[in-house]
Amino acid sequence: MLRLWPLRQVVSSAGARFIPACQKSTAPEPAPELVEVFVNDKQVFVEPGTTVLQACAVAGIEIPRFCYHERLSIAGNCRMCLVEVERSAKPIASCAMPVMKGMKVKTDSPVTKKAREGVMEFLLMNHPLDCPICDQGGECDLQDQSMNFGSDKSRFTDIAFTGKRAVEDKNVGPLVKTIMTRCIHCTRCIRFASEVAGVEDLGTTGRGNEMQVGTYVEKMLQSELSGNVIDLCPVGALTSKPYAFTARPWETRKIESIDVMDALGSNIVVSMRTNEVMRVLPRVNEDINEEWISDKTRFAYDGLKRQRLTTPFLKDANGQLMQTDWESAFLAIARKLQGVEGSQMAAVAGGLVDAEALTSLKDLMNRLGCETLCTEEIFPMDGSGTDFRSNYLMNTTIAGVEEADVVLFIGTNPRFEAPVFNARVRKSWIHNDLKVAMIGAPVDLTYEYEHLGETVDVIEKLAGGNHPFCKVLESAKRPMVVMGSSCLQRSDGSALHFMVSTLANRVKAASGADAEWRVLNVLHRVASQVAALDLGYSAGVSGVREAKPQMLFLLGADEGAITRSDLADGAFVVYQGHHGDQGAQMADVILPGAAYTEKDATYVNTEGRAQLTRQAVTPPGMARNDWKVLRALSELLGVTLPYDKLQEVRQRMAEISPTLVRVGEIEEANFFKQAIEATKAGKTSLGKEPLVPPQQVLKDFYMTDSITRASPTMAKCVQAATEAESSVH
Amino acid sequence: MASRAVQQGFKQVKPILSTNHHEAKRRVLNLYKAWYRQIPYVVKDFDVPISVKMGREKVREMFNKNKHITDIRTIDLLVIKGQMELVETAQIWKQRPHIMKYFEDTVNERPADFLGKFYDGHDP
Amino acid sequence: MASRLCRAIRPIASFARKQLFQQPAVAQLAVQRRFETTDAVPPPETRPTVRPHDPLVKKQLTDFGQYVAECLPRFVQRVDVTYLDELEIMIHPDGVIPVLTFLKDHTNAQFLCITDIAGLDVPTREFRFEIVYNLLSLRYNQRVLVKTYTDELTPIDSTCEVFAGSNWYEREIWDMFGVFFANHPDLRRILTDYGFEGHPFRKDFPLSGYVEVRYDDEVKRVVVEPIELTQEFRKFEYSTPWETFPTYRRIEAGEDEAVPPETTEPKQ
Repeated sequence: MLRLWPLRQVVSSAGARFIPACQKSTAPEPAPELVEVFVNDKQVFVEPGTTVLQACAVAGIEIPRFCYHERLSIAGNCRMCLVEVERSAKPIASCAMPVMKGMKVKTDSPVTKKAREGVMEFLLMNHPLDCPICDQGGECDLQDQSMNFGSDKSRFTDIAFTGKRAVEDKNVGPLVKTIMTRCIHCTRCIRFASEVAGVEDLGTTGRGNEMQVGTYVEKMLQSELSGNVIDLCPVGALTSKPYAFTARPWETRKIESIDVMDALGSNIVVSMRTNEVMRVLPRVNEDINEEWISDKTRFAYDGLKRQRLTTPFLKDANGQLMQTDWESAFLAIARKLQGVEGSQMAAVAGGLVDAEALTSLKDLMNRLGCETLCTEEIFPMDGSGTDFRSNYLMNTTIAGVEEADVVLFIGTNPRFEAPVFNARVRKSWIHNDLKVAMIGAPVDLTYEYEHLGETVDVIEKLAGGNHPFCKVLESAKRPMVVMGSSCLQRSDGSALHFMVSTLANRVKAASGADAEWRVLNVLHRVASQVAALDLGYSAGVSGVREAKPQMLFLLGADEGAITRSDLADGAFVVYQGHHGDQGAQMADVILPGAAYTEKDATYVNTEGRAQLTRQAVTPPGMARNDWKVLRALSELLGVTLPYDKLQEVRQRMAEISPTLVRVGEIEEANFFKQAIEATKAGKTSLGKEPLVPPQQVLKDFYMTDSITRASPTMAKCVQAATEAESSVH
Repeated sequence: MASRAVQQGFKQVKPILSTNHHEAKRRVLNLYKAWYRQIPYVVKDFDVPISVKMGREKVREMFNKNKHITDIRTIDLLVIKGQMELVETAQIWKQRPHIMKYFEDTVNERPADFLGKFYDGHDP
Repeated sequence: MASRLCRAIRPIASFARKQLFQQPAVAQLAVQRRFETTDAVPPPETRPTVRPHDPLVKKQLTDFGQYVAECLPRFVQRVDVTYLDELEIMIHPDGVIPVLTFLKDHTNAQFLCITDIAGLDVPTREFRFEIVYNLLSLRYNQRVLVKTYTDELTPIDSTCEVFAGSNWYEREIWDMFGVFFANHPDLRRILTDYGFEGHPFRKDFPLSGYVEVRYDDEVKRVVVEPIELTQEFRKFEYSTPWETFPTYRRIEAGEDEAVPPETTEPKQ
């Protein structure tokens, strides 16, 4: 029911009774009386308020359409979905017409066919015949549907040689390329921008033949979800600028994979040709990303081709990093490690590392006697810390926000830290009357929210029940508290975490939520964090700073959490990763690894859902899959790891934490009370600084990790977003 | 009675050449002998950097490669193919590279251990 | 009516024998067409993309096929007339020589010319190879396909003594499929290089082969090595990522007249 939300508008306009989803959970819904409809004389029963188009889909008949999209509101302006209905004077637009009792729909009748052919003829009359140079060619709805439903001959003759209708192209930023002559005015992009992305940038000007889709004045489409209009566009009017003229859809191979640019683990399809990632498209997963992905996910792939580490490097006598081969790099490490105690070593894992590599690194370092394994991203370790999974997961799940009625964000900007999640919140805000509140720096979330304050004392007040907003939280049936992991990077992170857990527990007890409903949520920023915590890494590099190690192993750690000054004098630093970024700059030995499109790997998203990436292309040059590098290194260090195959690594992962191999499933974590009680001992005082998420405006969104920093497209986006900020529009 | 049953068993499949194991073995040995005797001429005719001993060892190796095969028809077919090879060789239809192909002297062996495969870049 | 007759599959002789009394025992291929026109002539096919049907040709082929089945009941297992008006005679592998001799020497057949022998590999079948003899009768301007089957190890009798032209065709089949022809005068490879291993037309033979050859400058000769593909294997995919109308695709891929015209007309 939630999936088909645009229907509600139709239903309410048709005057039928309808039960909003947020009330649905409380009272048992009386089964609605089904309506009997005949589609091509086939009897089907559908719920009242269903459109004719959906009733036909139930009967197994797809109606051609351009403007209709099941995740957008209904426009009914393309007229492609016309069907004949018995006892109706004219063919009706099936996408906008609700079913009526005993309606007899004919989808293959001469009237319907003629209507379709007529509509198609009008569309093609003003559509350029440039399929051979159009990037949409091969995956174009207009192409497909004119083959399936159009007439087989043309009556179009340009007698006066006036040419077809032509529209000037608009510049809407560095991501979306517009060829507006191809536009058929389906308004899907406009509806997406205003409904899902929440930016009122797109609209139409003019009418009739002069109608144009655009941004009114020339400006950038300022949304972190703007790339989705490319997928939505049924023709080639909106195409991808970085992908322009690079490949045809039928010659690329599609590999189903997982995104690692944020902690959501959006499902993606990687299009590959000639061992190169050509583009990234979304894959439908109703539990995570529906069918949207963020612009970083979609366009940062060109960062995978630049700044790559393709050979091992070794520092020579002059302190210069020189290219070398694997064997000498390994031998150099082995020689250096000979006199070093395990306690003098440390390892730091970055944000893009997969679970397999994390497992191998932990096993390797433990075999060397080292127990100092950290992640760059900080998470409070005091008290129960990371002992309970419930402490660091998004327990409500991403899809759970559609059932919630109050959401409280603390120290996060979900719009840029998890754009697709933010789109869900917005969807819920529109359709389920979700109430949103926020503690932290005021940012534009694309929807209205109640700003409770910027400082930590607001949380204290809320936890103590002395804040006016407590009433709202207590009256809520399904409240959610979402704490951003960015706010836990502060020195008082553990106190903050304790305070928020207390608040969550109090809210849960005070509100009428069911026993299964979980209030506390942590929204992570990096893809590797949950897996690392599951595997027993300690969050944050404070352990390294205390130990002042002789030897440091950086596994994709590029955020600069550790510098040379944190280490012992003349410390030996090994960096393993895929990009020549901050980590590689301070290294003595560099081992080239594989990026997420180049390996079969496991990532665990912020909900605790393990998902697999699949190898689309081979790692460049001499780079190798990360766990294999660690396995090979272990052999030369004399502590051979007991796995040679991916399957064996996964078995080892299952030994440590079975959740890591249950792909696509969420294991429930339910120890909130115990977590609180265990934490009470290690309580520290709260700071006074306001909670400021690091990504506040659009230009902060594009470059957050080593891949996006290497991406020219993302650089262009930052530039465009910066210019757009100062622009008068 | 028993022999008839055996004969019926044979009737089910059409023999290629031999009707029993003994006959098949004789054919194999004949072919082996023919190859064995041909080797000195091969070495001479093709002017390959191979000694007669090496050549005969290779012949033996090739025959031993199919040692495990017991099906008469398979043996026959392999004998036929071996015979064809022999004719191609004896008639000097083949050329030097074809003879040297048996020795695979330029083929590098693929590493089997993890580290070797890792250095090589092949997926372990 | 004619079309229904044509579609009929003539099973083996036992069935055909029953019909002996109802149908003419000898069907000649050499019937003059103009004498046999019927009253119910269907309108001539004018659509340029649709092959015109000639019920007469079909009937002749059907009758002839039936006649062959009746004459050689031991070997002929099935006779088909395809929708493209080709006569197919499926025979047991033992009957290759008798059937081909019959077709070559019978007065009413005179298939004197063997145009081709083709092979077909279907690995899932018990007898994975299908051997198709393509015969032509210049006398009657007719063609016929004789099909038989075998597996990797069962030899087929060579037809060289019937058709001298079979010689190279059978060598080709041997080379490409590895089907052994018994009593062939000169069975050896014809297309592949000396020392080539395997039979390339078998379905389990990889498209890229097993080996590659190159000139090696060190040993000064051409060397054969296990293949290593340096370039990606090209493969095209035709389904769009947002395939909207799979059901319509399927109908289009099938026959034009999948739906009889009556049902598409609106009911009054």
